[in-house]
Amino acid sequence: MGSGELSGRDVLTRSVRGQGRRVAVGAVLGCVHQLGEALVPVLIGVVVDQAVAGRDAGRLVLWLAVLAVLYVCLSWSFRLGARIGERGAEEAAHTLRLALVRRVLDPRGGAEDDRLAGELANVATEDAKRVGAVNMALMSGVWAVAGLAVSAVVLLLTSVPLGLIVLVGTPVLLWLGHLLSKPLERRSEAEQDRAAGAAGVAADLVAGLRVLKGLGAQQAAVERYRRTSRVSLAATLRAARAESWQTGLVLALTGVFIALIAWVGGRLALEGSLSLGQLVTAVGLALFLLGPLETFAWVNADLAQGRASAARIARVLAAGPAVVGGEEPVPAGVRGELRLRGVRLGGLDGVDLDVPAGRLTGIAVTDPACAEALLGCLGREVDPESGSVELDGVPLTRLAPAELRAAVLVAAHDAALFEGSLAANVRPAQGTADGGPDPRTARAMAAADADEVARSLPHGAATQVGEGGRSLSGGQRQRVLLARALRAEPPVLVVHDPTTAVDAVTEARIAQGLREIRQGRTTVVVTNSPALLAVTDRVVFLDGGRVGAEGTHGELARTHATYRTAVLA
Amino acid sequence: MSVTAAPNGSERALLPTATPARTRAAVRELLRPHRALAVAGFGTMMLATAVGLLTQPLLGHIVDAVAEHRSPDALTWPVLALAGVALVQGLTTALGMSLVSRLGETALARLRELFVARALSLPLERLERAGSGDLNARVTRDVSRVADAVRGALPELARSGLSIVLTLGALALLDWRFLLAALAAVPVQAHTARWYVRNAVPLYAKERIAAGAQQQQLLDTIGGARTVRAHRLQEGHTRQVTERSRAAVELTMRGVRLVLRFYSRLHIAEYVGLTAVLVTGYWLVRSGSASIGTATAAALYFHSLFGPVNTALVLLDDAQSATAGLARLVGVVDEPAPAPGDGAEDRAAAVPGAPAVTLTGVSHAYAPGRPVLDGVDLQVRPEERVALVGTTGAGKTTLAKLVAGLHRPTAGRVDVGGTEPDGSGRLVGLVTQEVHVFAGPLADDLRLARPDAGDEELREALAAVGALGWAEQLPDGLDTVVGDGSHRLTADRAQQLALARVLLADPPVVVLDEATAEAGSSGARLLDEAAERALRGRTALVVAHRLSQAAAADRVVVLDGGRVVEQGTHDELLAARGRYAALWRAWSDNRSASPTGLTDRTGLTELPAPAEPAAGGSPAAH
Repeated sequence: MGSGELSGRDVLTRSVRGQGRRVAVGAVLGCVHQLGEALVPVLIGVVVDQAVAGRDAGRLVLWLAVLAVLYVCLSWSFRLGARIGERGAEEAAHTLRLALVRRVLDPRGGAEDDRLAGELANVATEDAKRVGAVNMALMSGVWAVAGLAVSAVVLLLTSVPLGLIVLVGTPVLLWLGHLLSKPLERRSEAEQDRAAGAAGVAADLVAGLRVLKGLGAQQAAVERYRRTSRVSLAATLRAARAESWQTGLVLALTGVFIALIAWVGGRLALEGSLSLGQLVTAVGLALFLLGPLETFAWVNADLAQGRASAARIARVLAAGPAVVGGEEPVPAGVRGELRLRGVRLGGLDGVDLDVPAGRLTGIAVTDPACAEALLGCLGREVDPESGSVELDGVPLTRLAPAELRAAVLVAAHDAALFEGSLAANVRPAQGTADGGPDPRTARAMAAADADEVARSLPHGAATQVGEGGRSLSGGQRQRVLLARALRAEPPVLVVHDPTTAVDAVTEARIAQGLREIRQGRTTVVVTNSPALLAVTDRVVFLDGGRVGAEGTHGELARTHATYRTAVLA
Repeated sequence: MSVTAAPNGSERALLPTATPARTRAAVRELLRPHRALAVAGFGTMMLATAVGLLTQPLLGHIVDAVAEHRSPDALTWPVLALAGVALVQGLTTALGMSLVSRLGETALARLRELFVARALSLPLERLERAGSGDLNARVTRDVSRVADAVRGALPELARSGLSIVLTLGALALLDWRFLLAALAAVPVQAHTARWYVRNAVPLYAKERIAAGAQQQQLLDTIGGARTVRAHRLQEGHTRQVTERSRAAVELTMRGVRLVLRFYSRLHIAEYVGLTAVLVTGYWLVRSGSASIGTATAAALYFHSLFGPVNTALVLLDDAQSATAGLARLVGVVDEPAPAPGDGAEDRAAAVPGAPAVTLTGVSHAYAPGRPVLDGVDLQVRPEERVALVGTTGAGKTTLAKLVAGLHRPTAGRVDVGGTEPDGSGRLVGLVTQEVHVFAGPLADDLRLARPDAGDEELREALAAVGALGWAEQLPDGLDTVVGDGSHRLTADRAQQLALARVLLADPPVVVLDEATAEAGSSGARLLDEAAERALRGRTALVVAHRLSQAAAADRVVVLDGGRVVEQGTHDELLAARGRYAALWRAWSDNRSASPTGLTDRTGLTELPAPAEPAAGGSPAAH
């Protein structure tokens, strides 16, 4: 991670600042609403005092009209304020989500290292949402302060001693409740975590259903689930009990507090320093005050969550790039000659290697890690620790990664297919729109035997391949992946193990197709498959991180014992 | 019970959903054993609420005492009573809520256990028709939705409901006319609730779909980030994420607007009711039939109703989605259990030694008119190892599934040691290329295959498949938690684990369906050796992709277009120069190091001639 980087606090401030106007407007409207809610018990007191006690019909009508106006104000201010607040929260989350996706997809990479896709997707949904929700929480905090201030003023205007009791007593009450329930809360959280386990186990068993059936292990699985479920139940019950006592405790404390106010207020009223209506108002406001104070509690919790989420987002956004340097465009007219000199990385231990332009070169390895490292270097997913990789004599580290990949396409063995039709996957740059039949696509499909895949699917090339292409079998996926790489028609194509899941006959056909369609363009096949190696012009054999031998497949197979074991066994 | 009808037989047929009546009956059945708990729980909650309602009359008393200018001592008992009410209310609420949670949680635990037990016993065929997403959604989303409702909504709803009913009762006790006044709000509330549910249900369904689509897109894009970079697809993917995120945001906002309109209408109801109660108070005090204290108590009662009424109406929403989830759970629980069979398979499994496998005239079609297997006759002798060979789509996997008993053949008979396999796995073990590592300690994963296996047995099984080395080097050895979300095993290790499970489960017949195909070119040999050990002493059917597996088998059966086109030993078939010989040449020519191989450049540019017939003959099959 670089220096001068983004912190969680920066993410949070930017997110709030980005929604500044909404937050401000929402806060003001929310304050109006709080004022209105606080005034409802006040008005009830006024009605009792002036109209009911005074038996005055005129005043009754007057004050009920005032109450109506009050309701209109509080209702509308709440509706508008909350809507603006939620919009702010959602927009902030949306902005963060896109920033995260852009960072992950950045040509220089580095953001998704060591992180599972699911985890990153969660950062982009849940964490972004929580940071967005901070906007709403801030607004609610402002509202609560306003509600508190209004009640304080009204109470103090009504009666100074009673006002002071309520104002001092309410926070004390909440603090006391918080203090008493804290151990309960902690316990409840721990228990709920344990309780969540049962759901995970069930989903996992269902996901592995075929395996269970294949082994006749259903009964064992059901037994196991029952045990988990019972442990989970016990934990949930403990948590529920803790929560119930917490609720009961708060109820009891609040009730005792109201009794105290009623007692003091009643005595003050009997002494004549408080009117009947003021007594009712004071009791009503004491109840109302609990609302804003509880709001503080959850606003605090939301802010804490928001901070934690913002820190997670900042870690992704600020992740250092996997490759640094290189801004130059690729010179026009790529010949496609690759040259590696003294490359060290992963399993590669000083590799010197030349890939001639316009030829089909095979690279066989003894250590799969070498293949990975080699592919990483060629696609500039990662730069070598030492040594150089050159394209037409220009070091790759001087070229902009995105530009480079237009010239050198590395088709990884485990490359992804995307949701959409088979056709859209073969021509992804075109988007989902069907471009209709296109002879070059047809050629690429045929060369990769993907036309055969299309024919076996219910809707041909228009068939949806499902999330990550999962509705296709391993062999079908591989052929579609290869077709996509071939259709991209890059000046230099590097493919890795494109046929491990297809049968021998198909593999031979694909090998031939690959050779024909790439005629005259630089192509590298990294594989140990003899069927593919046999169609190459030349094979480079990497034995334990160094070039062990070079020659045609036939020569190597005849003369090189290690090669024979690696490739032909 | 209703089955979501599919437009035609070959399309999706979702698992059933229970009718509302059946769902209610199922809930009653679940609660029946806990009747005493239910009575105690709701009784205590009722007591708590009733006691709490004494607050307002006591406050009214204080108001009256003030209005009548009585001595300060007159305040003492109502104040003490208020404090007492608070304490009793707190205590009984705590007790009542924990009893009600116990009731709900115990019933829920029972329901989810029944659900999982039934889900795991559903025939695979049924699940495949429903799509794996359906069951997964039920076991995750629906269970958690019902759980959330039981945990949060049920106690709150009970409390609010009781508060409302008893508060209205208390209003009636003060004066029946106060009750009438308060009920003025009900039509508005009822109309609002109906309006809300009508609009919210479809909207939330859309919102969930949009959220799912967004999550899906993020997983797709982020999971494929390397591919996106390699093919420079950033623009398209960013656009798709933007579109789906935007759609989700807009639907969320529509939901927010709906909820806010709902609250606005509830505000109207509040105002209508409050005004009615205040006016009634005015009339009653004026006519002398109520004191000011009573009128105050009535107004305060009504004001205190706002909270529970809003809570109850908002919770209706949760209750609605929980009920829908519940119906889907009950629907699966009510699925008829597969016929338990006559235990023939158990008896067969109990007979020592490996049985023979006989297929007589077996045909199978997933969709009518598109047979995948067509009149297959095949005999596998006890302890014989038969390799199934053929191009993609020749029907190998279907044949494997039929032998394992996961599907019933459309025609013909599969016989394993005198019985028909029922897919229970005890007689015929099946390992497919679909590997799953069960989340939890590695040892627990293995013990699924044999629950009573000791540590030594686990080690032996791992050692036999060559996995003991890495397993012991895991951070906590065999106790290391593996699977999704913890220590992830590579595909070939997961495959080794699958073979170790076979050794532990020890079925007399084993079907391996391309169990080693996914391993990269270098890990395959290791897996072949592991499979070799796992199959020893068993009758085995191996779907072979690498023909080295076929060469090592006792007999090779070549399938094409759903028919057996050749069978015999490897050598016999090579000598016969038929389909298998062609396949073998295509496969081994490239491998053979002999000078007769394709060593010169010119020969390499042509497809090896002997492979041509096979290549041309098979693709039409489906």
